[in-house]
Parts: sequence; structure tokens; C-alpha cells
Amino acid sequence: MSAALETATVPAITTEDDISEDFPHIKADQCLFLQLPSGNVKQITLKPDTKIPLGKFGTFKANALIGQPFGLTYQILNNSGDIKPVRNTALEDIESTEANNREIFDSKDAQKLTHEEIERMKREFPDEADEESIIKKIIESHSSFEKKTEWSKAKYVQRKKKKFSKEFTPMRPTLYSVAEYFFERNPEKIGFLRVDTLAQILNFANVHAEARYLVVDDTQGLLISAVAERMGGYGQIMGIHDGLSSNYDVLRYHNFSKRILDSISTLPWTMVDKDEPTSDGWVEFTEEEFEGLTDREKINYTRRRKTVKRIEAARAVLNEGGFDGLIVASQYLPMSILDRLLPFVAGSRPVVIYNINKEVLIDAFLHMRSSKEYVGVQMTESWLRRYQVLPGRTHPEMTTSAGGGYILSAYRTFDTPNPHLDASKTEEQSEAKKAKTSQ
Amino acid sequence: MSFRKYKRYVEEGDVVAIHMGRDTLKAVTVVKDEIQSNKLGSFPHNDWIGREYGSKVYSKKGSFVYLLHPTPELWTLMLPHRTQILYLADISFISAYLELKPGSRMIESGTGSGSFSHSIARTIAPTGHLFSFEYHEERANLARQEFKDHGLEDLITLTHRDVCKDGFGLSDTVNAVFLDLPAPWEAVESAKKAFKQHRTGKICTFSPCIEQVSKTVAALNEHKFVDITMFECLIRNQEVYSVKKLTVDHAIQNIRYMDARRKENKAKAKRSIDEMKGHTSYLTFATFLPVEAGTAPAATE
Repeated sequence: MSAALETATVPAITTEDDISEDFPHIKADQCLFLQLPSGNVKQITLKPDTKIPLGKFGTFKANALIGQPFGLTYQILNNSGDIKPVRNTALEDIESTEANNREIFDSKDAQKLTHEEIERMKREFPDEADEESIIKKIIESHSSFEKKTEWSKAKYVQRKKKKFSKEFTPMRPTLYSVAEYFFERNPEKIGFLRVDTLAQILNFANVHAEARYLVVDDTQGLLISAVAERMGGYGQIMGIHDGLSSNYDVLRYHNFSKRILDSISTLPWTMVDKDEPTSDGWVEFTEEEFEGLTDREKINYTRRRKTVKRIEAARAVLNEGGFDGLIVASQYLPMSILDRLLPFVAGSRPVVIYNINKEVLIDAFLHMRSSKEYVGVQMTESWLRRYQVLPGRTHPEMTTSAGGGYILSAYRTFDTPNPHLDASKTEEQSEAKKAKTSQ
Repeated sequence: MSFRKYKRYVEEGDVVAIHMGRDTLKAVTVVKDEIQSNKLGSFPHNDWIGREYGSKVYSKKGSFVYLLHPTPELWTLMLPHRTQILYLADISFISAYLELKPGSRMIESGTGSGSFSHSIARTIAPTGHLFSFEYHEERANLARQEFKDHGLEDLITLTHRDVCKDGFGLSDTVNAVFLDLPAPWEAVESAKKAFKQHRTGKICTFSPCIEQVSKTVAALNEHKFVDITMFECLIRNQEVYSVKKLTVDHAIQNIRYMDARRKENKAKAKRSIDEMKGHTSYLTFATFLPVEAGTAPAATE
């Protein structure tokens, strides 16, 4: 049991927070995102002395990125994986012309170059057949390209660029980029928590440095990472989790400094109950007893001791209570969570609960609205629309996420009795009130 | 210290958010021997001092309010409006996109009524800094006083200045820029200089009209900002209503027996047609690239 209780630790590869560095360049062993010409984002860990494969876009040498700034766009030069930064192209204005699609007929024969011919070009001249010359050849071989409108020409070139370009842009993992990456790639893993909804959770919960938050995260660590980023290692996070050890996989994509990782403590649900023993049958050895153990036993004992101590420390943090907020994105019914965790939350602090399904929140919503333990109870839904803003071609994106889930939020209050009245009178009054309302 | 750091108990001098009912909040500074009078009654401040935040406090007549700890979110709901203000949907999305966190250094223009300023200061504390610019002198003075009263003065430098004419006067300083101006494109060039030059930075402009967006995009493009994109973000309130489940059988019953049951079988829709904010502003975003991007020596071996 001791081994299983061990928290899966995220290795800290840096001691400094990027924001405090003037030159926060790409470091070895960092997690980063690569924006690819296809519009996809690839997540990599930059292992030194390796080559990073980007599928059909080619391969590049990891060492060539180490020490470079984020945000620049690089082109893969050749098959040995050399890269060079390229200038990011400006958006081009498109002039309106008389052209229209009246003369264009759908035909497979419009493009004279075959797929095989293009592939041969790429194979025979890998160093020269860069995207531009390939795209130029393709345009030249397109019989009705000139008949297209300028808009449609631009779209055509853009589409070919996506296909043949060998460029990529390394991006820093941030709260935004990490959330966007998982939402695009594996939304189920993160409880379908969309980035705008996540941002709203952080604001509803007034997440900030030098505070203490209680977090129930069944989004594989997306929520707890976001809280950690906003706290910058100042303050304390207590994560309550499923199973014996936490599964906050998303934490490792953030390149958090040790200080930030150290601000996170975790406990399994069983340890929330004050009467639950931390570890069955755990006996601390005296120094003499310890010396009497074999090497193997010593290792096991030390590991187990570390775990027990960690959990004892985390329980002490939890039992101190007075948390500055309860933030939940969980598969469990909100009422079952509130029953157990509300007593640990200080007065006037926010309680914020996310779920992709409104139905899950309704019972808790109605309870909170009628309870005297909460004020400012509201349930909200976020709506987000992204636009393409190319000059002369501004419009909303054609497809978008249809739902970002629901947030139930409130402030915790106390039903303090009225000191101006003596107890019997208060009771009398409330009895009278009850009688009145039941009529 | 009250807006950036929680405390447990109400003390003299605190700004307290009085919760008087759903959507009714009022900011009150706690002063000994003073009495807060509102539509619910008269509440002696002396009853509040020493109470835990979140407590219910009573007037002499037995009506009550809750004492809430001030937060930037509550402040947005109760601040004195001197201008149009930003609300949570835009504030939270912009904060995430601009990657605000402890240590961020940011420009905001204009300060307006200080709704976003409070939120930014909270998010970038304790090590970040906000440079806020306001061209209306009286508004600048009022905001400055509020920041002081709310314990944010060391986090915010407020300058009275027309940034479109005179620029920000900052160079190599910030990670993020937010422009809520009638003509944000006039401030883009100066904003570019203000960015920390050796790292990426993010800019957001906030404009209600699409024509403003076009001009801003052109200016951002001209000044070599990349990843130019635009969003709209809205929040919809959700309510839960109890609705009687009526069937056509009820209708038939009603017609057949025009009796007392008719009344009880009528669906009582207790709700009104809800309104929501349908548009606040377009949020245009772009990325500032480290200088000499593209001319740095090729990273080949």
C-alpha cells in the first residue's frame, strides 16, 4: 500500500519562473508545443541530442532549438534536420477583381500535376524543392487558377502551403495553450473544460497569490495547473483526488518551477475523514531498529516513511481549515462534495463548481439558493466565438464548440443568530414565520 | 490590503461588501460608531467589527445583511460607474489570453472606472506591476484614490496621459498590453516599444465596432505583430424553473368539466423573457515577437 500511496511526482526542470526572466528561452528537457503548418499543434519534450520527427513535415535537431526564444517560426532546411528562423509573413490585403466562378467547372483535370509527380519532386530534390517552388509549380499546372477570384486564389495557396510547408513554431505552454491543446485533442480527458470556462472559474473563485485553495480536480490536473499558474507558488493548494495517488498528468506540461510544484499538496478522498487512520500498521522504528534492517528493507522503510510523513503533513494542512475557496471540476455529485468539504472553507469565500452537464449541478443549485449558507448563487454558461480577421475577409469561424459547460458559483456565508433578540424570541419568531409560510 | 489578500475578520477601516439581497451589493468602509442606513434598516458598524467575514448582521428591527469580503469580482458589481466597464466574461478571457499571473507586467489604457484594473492587480500580485493610463484627469484622480483605499497602490502606477497623442513613455518593460480606447490603432506603435523586447508578449484591443477592429488589425499587421485573431465572449445566466407537466388530457378535462380543476391545470409560467448582454466588444489579440525575429543567426551546426 505504501508504494501505491506515493504521489506521481512531476520533475521540476527549472528553479526559476519564466516570468522573472528577461530572456526566457527554450531549455533542454522542457515540454513545448509546436504549431505546425497544418494548423495542428504537436506536444514534444525537447530531449537534447535527439531528432524530433514532425511526420510528413520532416525531422529537426532538438539541439538547434535549445537557447532560442519562443514564438519564432523555423523552417526545416534539409534531411539532416538543420533549421533556420524565417520571417513571419504579414497578412496580405486582397483586392477585389472582376473574376468570379462562372467560368470554373469542377473537374479533376484542372490540376495537371499528379500526386506521384509532386512526390518525385520532393524526393529527387529534397534540399531545393522547398514549399515555394513546389507551390509555384502546382499553380502553374492549374488550368483555371487565373480565372479564380483573388480570395479564392489566396485560399488555394494557403491550402497548398498547409500541405507542403516545412515550417513550425515552438510555443510556450501556458494556462491558455495547455487548455486549448487538450480541448482540441482529448476533451474527454479534461472533462470538456473549455478555456473560456476555465478562465471564468479562476475569476469566480478569485484565485490569486498568497491564498489557500481546496481543489477537486477530475480533469487530470488541468484545473489544478491553472490554479497553480495563477498563484505563482505563493500560497497553498490542496488537491483532493480519486484513488490512492493523484493523477494530475497535465501538471507536467507547464514547466513549473520547483517552488510552484511544492505549493501543491494532495490527499485521497479517504483522508478527508478525520477518523480514518493515515496508514494501517505503520510503526516508526528507532534508530537502532533501523540500523538492524537489511539494505533492501531500509530502502522500503525510508520510502514508506516519506509517504506517511507527506500524508500526515497534508492532513494537517487540510484540518487547519479556513480555505479561501473551494474549486471543483469533478465527476461526483456536487452535494456529496459540499457535504464533506464546505466545513473547511472560510466565510465569504467562493465556492465554484464546474460540470459539462447542467443536470449534474441543478440539485446543488437549488439547495444553495434556498440555504442560508450561501449568497450570490448563480449558474452560468459561457459562449465563445472566434473570428478570422484577414484584411477584407473578416468573419466568424465556420465551426465552433457548441458548449463550454456550466459553472455554479456562490459565496459561503454563516446563518449567524440575531444578538439583539434572546434565543427564545428568535425561536418564537422563526416558528411564527414557518407557520406563516406553510399556510 | 483588503482586495489582494483575504482576512478572516472584519476590522475598522476595511471596505466591506454588504450583501442586501440577490444582485444588491454596496461597498461600505467600516468606521467605528457609524451607522449604515439602507432600505432594509439601520446597521451599526460596531456590530460588524470582529465578526467573521460571511456573517449575517442585523438591524435593530431584525432585518439582516451579509458582510462579504471585497474581491475584484464583487467590486465590478458595485463600483461607481464613471464609464462603461468590463465584466467577468471579458475580464477572465483577456486575463487568460494575455497569460496574466504573479509577476506579469502590463499596460492598461484607459483606466476608466477601474473594474479591470482591480482584477489585473489581484492576478499579477505580489511581484507584478500594472501601468494604467487615463486621459480624463478627474477620472484618473478618482481611480488613483480608489487604488490607494483598496491597498493596490504599490501594484499600480496610474498616469494621466493621452496615450494616442503622447505614447506610453515606456520601453522594454511589459509582457502584456490592453487597449480600451476609441482609436486603439493610434497606440499600437508606442505599445510595441513598451514590450519586453527579448520575449514574446501579448496585446489585446477592446472595441465595440467591427470597423475599429479592421483598423486595429491593419496597424498590428503593419507593426509586425503575429497570430492576429479576434474573439467574442459572453456569459449566459441559467435558471431552474419548476414547470407543471400538463398533457392534452388536461385540456380535454378542462373542456368537458368546466370546474374547479380548470384553474389548477393551467400552466403557470412564472418566468419573464430573460435578457442578456448580447455584445460587449470584440477582443482582438496579437502576439509581439522578440526583436530581430527572422534575422537571428541560423541555428544550424
